[in-house]
Amino acid sequence: MIGPRHALRTLRREWRLPELRTLIAALLLSVTALGAVGTLATRVQRAVVMSAAELIGGDLGIDAASPLPAVFVHHAQALGLRTSTLADFPSVAFAGERSQLLSVTAGDGAWPLRGKLTVVGRDGQSKVAHAPPAGSIYLDHRALVSLQLKIGDRLQVGGMDLAVAGQIDQQPGGGDLIALAPRAVMALADAKSAGLLGTGSRARHRLLVAGSVAGADAYRAWTKAHLPANARMVTPEEVQQRLAVAFDRAGSFLRLAALLAALLAGIAVALSAQRYARRKTDEIALLRALGASSRFAFGSLAWTLALPAVLAALIGAGVALGLASAAFAYAHDLLPASAQRAPLPFGPAFAAAGIGLAVLAGFALPPLARLKSIPPVAVFRRNVKLARRRFDLLYAVPVLVALGLIALETGSWKIAGVLAACLAGAALFTALLTFAILWLIRRYAVRLNPALRLGVSALTRRRGLSLLQSCAISLGLTALLLLAVVAPALLDNWRRELPRDTPNWFVVNLQDAQRAGVRDALEKFGATRFNDMPVAVGKLVSINGVDVESAPFRGRDVSQEASQQVRLSWSRALPPANRVIAGQWFAPDAHGAQVSLDVAWVRRFDLKLGDRLAFLVGNQRIDARLTSIREVDWSRFNVNFFVMLDPAHGETLPHTWIASFYLAPGHAGALAAFSRDNPSLSLIDVDELLNRARQIVGQVTAAARWVLAFSLLAGALVLAAALTMSAAERRHEAALLRTLGARRDQLRMAALCEFGLLGAISGVTALLASAIGGAWMAHAVFRIHAFAPPWMPLIVAALIAAAVVAALGLAGTRKVLRTSPLLLLRR
Amino acid sequence: MDDSEVHDGNRTDMALISARGLGKHVEGPAGRLDILDDVSLEVNAGETIAITGASGSGKTTLLGLLAGLDLPSDGSVRLDGHALEAMDEEARARLRLTLVGFVFQSFHLLPALTAEENVLLPLELDGTPDAPARARDALASVGLRERGAHYPYQLSGGEQQRVAIARAFVHGPRILFADEPTGNLDHASRDAIADLLFALNREHHTTLVVVTHDPAMAARCAQVYDLVDGRLRAHAA
Repeated sequence: MIGPRHALRTLRREWRLPELRTLIAALLLSVTALGAVGTLATRVQRAVVMSAAELIGGDLGIDAASPLPAVFVHHAQALGLRTSTLADFPSVAFAGERSQLLSVTAGDGAWPLRGKLTVVGRDGQSKVAHAPPAGSIYLDHRALVSLQLKIGDRLQVGGMDLAVAGQIDQQPGGGDLIALAPRAVMALADAKSAGLLGTGSRARHRLLVAGSVAGADAYRAWTKAHLPANARMVTPEEVQQRLAVAFDRAGSFLRLAALLAALLAGIAVALSAQRYARRKTDEIALLRALGASSRFAFGSLAWTLALPAVLAALIGAGVALGLASAAFAYAHDLLPASAQRAPLPFGPAFAAAGIGLAVLAGFALPPLARLKSIPPVAVFRRNVKLARRRFDLLYAVPVLVALGLIALETGSWKIAGVLAACLAGAALFTALLTFAILWLIRRYAVRLNPALRLGVSALTRRRGLSLLQSCAISLGLTALLLLAVVAPALLDNWRRELPRDTPNWFVVNLQDAQRAGVRDALEKFGATRFNDMPVAVGKLVSINGVDVESAPFRGRDVSQEASQQVRLSWSRALPPANRVIAGQWFAPDAHGAQVSLDVAWVRRFDLKLGDRLAFLVGNQRIDARLTSIREVDWSRFNVNFFVMLDPAHGETLPHTWIASFYLAPGHAGALAAFSRDNPSLSLIDVDELLNRARQIVGQVTAAARWVLAFSLLAGALVLAAALTMSAAERRHEAALLRTLGARRDQLRMAALCEFGLLGAISGVTALLASAIGGAWMAHAVFRIHAFAPPWMPLIVAALIAAAVVAALGLAGTRKVLRTSPLLLLRR
Repeated sequence: MDDSEVHDGNRTDMALISARGLGKHVEGPAGRLDILDDVSLEVNAGETIAITGASGSGKTTLLGLLAGLDLPSDGSVRLDGHALEAMDEEARARLRLTLVGFVFQSFHLLPALTAEENVLLPLELDGTPDAPARARDALASVGLRERGAHYPYQLSGGEQQRVAIARAFVHGPRILFADEPTGNLDHASRDAIADLLFALNREHHTTLVVVTHDPAMAARCAQVYDLVDGRLRAHAA
């Protein structure tokens, strides 16, 4: 086959061509970025989904706010199934002066029925275990470190003194994907004795069953018919679906970051292909003149690109697999134990290779396809070349490829359209800013020194290329600055805006008779801003007479939302941080029960004023009319509720109290004593939760930063491609200037000014775009009243961008600056 | 001979190249520009003809039409009996592959291929067996057997043109079109190249059509035509 043979011969020399190298590098970059992210996301998702049964600890579970009636256990046993009872709840553990919020699982001796609990003992050996015996507790590594404990030490949970009997190595999850709090496992009996599972506590009780498939199926059918109002079934299928959705969302964020890199790399491909097409024009014309068919001429061109492209795509897939493995190891402690053993999937990396080749083909096609119309007579006349066609349909191909790529990564053409519009908007914004800055500089350039003037004129002479380069670099830099500089500043700003004494502790399961005493006790060791509210735990059963668990409401299936537990409260006055945005707060003389809902609830169920909602609290049913809609400022950390009843009806419901207060650091000992004296109460440390959430966000954004670094590299490739495109023109300019007497250092200064300016423009554009983006997020998302963008880090980033682009530009034009003036005579 | 009459009806059926009433015009900013006007020409097998004229007279345009690289606005061209205007570009390309060789003013060697590989091209396009050996022989015939592995940038202008000549003859074309073959060469190389071109032309019994403004080269051809104001006139012998 002469086509591939001719291509190989051609490649022997042409692989050195800068445009071919840039093209291949762009392909390698996009495959690596997409492949690494795709592999990581798939590995995590598959592993967690595959171990769903292990995650729930049995074949089937029944989840409830209170212990299930004994008949559920008896029936399971009658069907030959094994049973286990457990409870999950948060609780603060105390060890001396240290405290730590723990996610506690209290299980009976049979737990877990499926999956493994493995514990490392004092001998350092990991063994399969069940729930610990009474008087002891297992802690995970984080808890041991935080409380500075080792195996054999003692701590208090719920006022109960327990011995640390082992370190949890592996545990069936309770459905928590990201462990906000360290984990602990204790005996169910101990939790009961400590009063940690009383009415109104935050404990979730679960009955697990395991056994034959027939037995589990029969039990499932029976349970469906007998399920109490406040309970729901937990199945591996449901957990799988929830987990898949959750990981999908996390993965989407990273995929979009990789997508930006791939799209910018596509621009580099398009520029390089254009340069390559120009170079190949004479060759194609000659081959056609010699008698080669257009199929041969174009085919050998395709082979010349395909051979190195396929190789680069495979190398990119390999590098992606390596990066994904490294990232997986980095995220080790974020993931459930079952996910950590997941094998490395190869599919996504090779799919990324295919996508990369499609991007290459799509973006390179328009300039290369036009070679097909080179007439053979062009061997005689250089000016009979690629006829300019203003509205070439071929240029729709890269746009369609880009849209297709976005749709593939987002899973939706609609989202792809919106995202493409946002990207186009961002590109337009950076282009306009760049254009404006260039215009301003040009206007005042006459006052500049000659070297600067030369540099500026170079930028404005190649305005289109300058705009493209600036946009590409700015987009990548903006994305990185938003994530690395602005987002942390937003979070810090948000926390600073909170008043100093914003409540940082919650106490739950407070009984009526305990309220005054607890308040006094807390205030005695310095707690302030004490605020308590009643809470009743129930379930939404119907809206306007429609049973929402079994029938759609206003055309929407809301059964999943309706199956969740609801915490209701009541108050005479409108609680702080609440604002009525529709209807009226409870009128004391109104007839019938009234309910006020947070706007999020209203949207979730598509409600409007006047709708009737029925709640079941224990055995008590209450029908209430929606009389007001509120907007709650959840960021203030007061006790707040989505659902509030009028006091007259709320007070009739079985309830406990939840309180919030502020306590300055350094009172762990006092809190420990308080907890011992009030074993039925659960303390929740908000600062600890926020710190952990911040740590997780930090790890995820660190990963995203790495991915966004690919975008910067892609921006650099666009710069390289643009340099290649303008190389001949630059050589001619350099030869002319040298002929006219310019010194080499003057040419170098001009190049430095040109690329320094380009980098500065890109940096300033990114700085402004990030600042505006941050200001918008502060106002619209975080509701921060006085957000000042972090100007100093942004300015430093802009300066670094200018320096890096200047350095890259100088390096890229090094040979050009050495052009001999003889070039002019030879031409 | 009447200088507007350039073909004899009796010789038409033997003519390897036959052009009748050729015209070529283009649309320019100032309106229609006639490059060629009613050009007729017949060249028999084995003949050597030169087309001369001032710069911009349309010589290269005429060459392009005769070689089938372009289509005329008016008139017709037949190569070895094949009417070019009735053929699409693919068919013309196939005809060129078997029938025609080219030598260009700018040599037009592919920079990514060695000298031997450049000569090999027409043979490979045609699927000729034993192509490498024939390519090497062709290079030897132009005195460059030892330079086969060198790239064009490693050869002088004269050497590059010799490689181009080897490429033009390697597949045994019946017609050779040469566009200013010595236009980019120094005086000494010019003569050597001209000698080589005509020697190989004799050896291979090709029909040679040379576009040149070099009177010495034109004088070496059996028939010379002048192209003036787009019209072809036979040069007085």
